Amino acid sequence: MSAEPRLSVLLVEDDPWLAELEADILVSAGYRVEHAPHAPSAIAKIDQSQPDVIVLDVLLTGSTAFALLHELQSYGDTKGVPIILCTNMAETLRLDDLAPYGVRRIIDKTTMQPDDLPAAIKGVTV
Amino acid sequence: MNTGAKGSEMNAQGVTSLTAAAHELKSPLALVRQLALRLDAGDVSDQQRRLLRQITLTSERALRLTSDLTRSARLNDMPDALFELEPINPEQLCRDIADELAPLFEAHGRSLKVSPRTHPLLLVANRDLLRRILMNFSDNALYYSEPGTAVHMQIKALKKSGTIRVGIRDFGPALSSDMWRGLQKKLKHSPQAVHARPQSSGLGLYIAGQFAEAMQGTIGATRHRDGATFYVELQASRQLSLL
Repeated sequence: MSAEPRLSVLLVEDDPWLAELEADILVSAGYRVEHAPHAPSAIAKIDQSQPDVIVLDVLLTGSTAFALLHELQSYGDTKGVPIILCTNMAETLRLDDLAPYGVRRIIDKTTMQPDDLPAAIKGVTV
Repeated sequence: MNTGAKGSEMNAQGVTSLTAAAHELKSPLALVRQLALRLDAGDVSDQQRRLLRQITLTSERALRLTSDLTRSARLNDMPDALFELEPINPEQLCRDIADELAPLFEAHGRSLKVSPRTHPLLLVANRDLLRRILMNFSDNALYYSEPGTAVHMQIKALKKSGTIRVGIRDFGPALSSDMWRGLQKKLKHSPQAVHARPQSSGLGLYIAGQFAEAMQGTIGATRHRDGATFYVELQASRQLSLL
């Protein structure tokens, strides 16, 4: 019997050290992780292979996460991908406002614990 | 341009720069905290774990300040904005804050206690702003209290004014008479920079005063021979008396 395929996570984060740290945590938790440092790179990676979940920083180099959210919502095949925002701006964002854009969770980077990210992914994929 | 207008413009520019700086500081501080947490989860010695804990707690303290600064800037941008005010049990809020800050106080060899009340009181406030004020006062008390002492969170009804006073009492060096007079004068005109103690810039109290004012409340201080109490006074809720 073949092993259950691991879920894939696209991590969109422009800080390379934080991206490395988060990817390390996610790989340890059993996920396959692709990293994109900005929105155009994220689109290119999604075109190659659609992830099961997207973990998205808000203030990215170049265009912000909101441009990417609009882009993803405009295509039938990507609008259903659950998105977790992982941001320093969590206190200014409301999940109710962002739910129509596929955002299922908002994680506050300033208070998050290492287990929060895997727990959030589990929460949106079950 | 008259001097007053120039002054306000400079003040607005200063606030804008401060907010931008706070935003910029958030990312590296959050990263430092995450790196410390990651290391702490690994195999480290007790001494290394203690140092990592100090890094985490210090970065959390700085993150709270950056968050207060950005909140303060939003208040400056929208001075007439309405905040959702609700009846709040201050004792419960104090207990939540005491729980949240317990690791920080413990790491500094101090504790934060809530003086219990027999009869619960309710006040009218914005939960987020009141929480920030009390966290701020508690943080201030932590650094001015003597090691081994407990900082007390006290709640009192002031019947004459129909307000509730929530105070944070520290046990540390007394304020000199000169400093006390200066503090009283400045508190009367808060929000403005208030130099609470010799080593303090007064930024935390400026922000607390601004948050209190947004809830139609005030902040103040009481001097003791062995420390000080910084407090916020807010309107009492009539909800309990209507029951």
